[in-house]
Amino acid sequence: MIEARALTRRFGGRAVVRDVSFRVEPGEVVGFLGPNGAGKTTTMRMLLGLLRPDAGDVAVDGPVGFLPEVFAGYDALSVRGYLGFMARMKRATADGDVDRVATAAGVDDLLGRPIGRLSKGQRQRVGLAQALLGRPPSYVLDEPTQGLDPKQVVEMRDVIRSLAKADGAAVLLSTHLLAEAATVCDRVVVIAKGRVRAEERPGAAPDLEARFLRIVGEAELDADD
Amino acid sequence: MINRVAYKDLKVLWASPVPYVVGALFHVMLGLLYVSQLETRKQAVIQPMFPLAAFLLLLTVPVLSMRAFAEEARSGSLDLLIAVPVPRWVLVTGKWLATWLTTLAVLAPSLVFVLLLHLYGNPESGPIEAGYLGLVLLAAVLAGIGVLASSLTTSQPLAALVALFVTLALWFAHVGSDTISTSTALARFSLSERLRTFAGGAIDTGDLWFFVLLTTAALIVAAAVLAVRKLR
Repeated sequence: MIEARALTRRFGGRAVVRDVSFRVEPGEVVGFLGPNGAGKTTTMRMLLGLLRPDAGDVAVDGPVGFLPEVFAGYDALSVRGYLGFMARMKRATADGDVDRVATAAGVDDLLGRPIGRLSKGQRQRVGLAQALLGRPPSYVLDEPTQGLDPKQVVEMRDVIRSLAKADGAAVLLSTHLLAEAATVCDRVVVIAKGRVRAEERPGAAPDLEARFLRIVGEAELDADD
Repeated sequence: MINRVAYKDLKVLWASPVPYVVGALFHVMLGLLYVSQLETRKQAVIQPMFPLAAFLLLLTVPVLSMRAFAEEARSGSLDLLIAVPVPRWVLVTGKWLATWLTTLAVLAPSLVFVLLLHLYGNPESGPIEAGYLGLVLLAAVLAGIGVLASSLTTSQPLAALVALFVTLALWFAHVGSDTISTSTALARFSLSERLRTFAGGAIDTGDLWFFVLLTTAALIVAAAVLAVRKLR
């Protein structure tokens, strides 16, 4: 379970996130949608404990599997060396777990390669593999399909769905892709100008797109903001 | 977990050219300066090597330590570790250990001077051991200050400059202590004064504790800095 309770965060006196509340239940994939600068990343950093909220609090079943928008490993380490290191940091069973997550993320054929020699899509999949280590009950995934080719996108979405449906994890998925939200998510939370504007179940992608644009447009006109 | 963090950092650091280049420059400079000292003295003694090596460490350790946190914070890999969460003191201690061990590895070839002395003479081992103990302790302090500086910024050059400025300030803290009363207290923090006893062949437990406590203090502050960064 991942829960944000009235989270507020200011930078330089300006509230970037205001009174944001939502909940992700076990077995559920929730899409976190919003335009650039809406407060998605700041909210996720508070959920992960990387940033302290000015008000509100967070409840998360930990540990959390985290995939940042741009995954950064250590170029000098091999994929196996990196996953082994992260497994030990997470106190997961090292070798068996490394092989399991490498297979799940589709990087089992890359285990001997240095991270510095991987393509962007391959690096992103290594990032997913490290998030899977230790079978965490909660996941925060920031733009996980960015930089992947179409086949890898389909595979990544299948993995994300299986985390919730097969493993019973709570998954918060930030994405710019409305089609992705419509395909993968059970619910979407729409954030704009730092506030949650809507929380609903996605229908077909065109419908979601129209609703999203209307909600964001209304937020832009909101005189209180 | 500390040893895992240290091992990872050692692998990452030694995969880069930094320790090799720094080590080569260190020993070229040390060799030139030490030989010129010996020519002046017309006597083969090890003692002049210690203050020279110590001062060169001041210039080189900031380069070895600058990436410790600055690079991880810039790339975002630090977020993954903090989100795990790996305790901050584990990260700080592991990175300090990697920097310290790298510094000792860079320093190690200077033992060739000791070997040469033993080949052509019969030097006392006490002063040599004390001198090297001083360098080992100095390396610990410099690595601590370097890791602290690296925790303050995402810029590696800035981290190196901050570490260099702080260590130079500590090195010269005794300057003016004879004429300015307030400087007398500062002189107690002078790294060069504290090392003088070791280089002279004696081990003062007060000096030994000074290095241990200063290293510990730097690491505690670095862990606090990482915690405060969360507030920003």
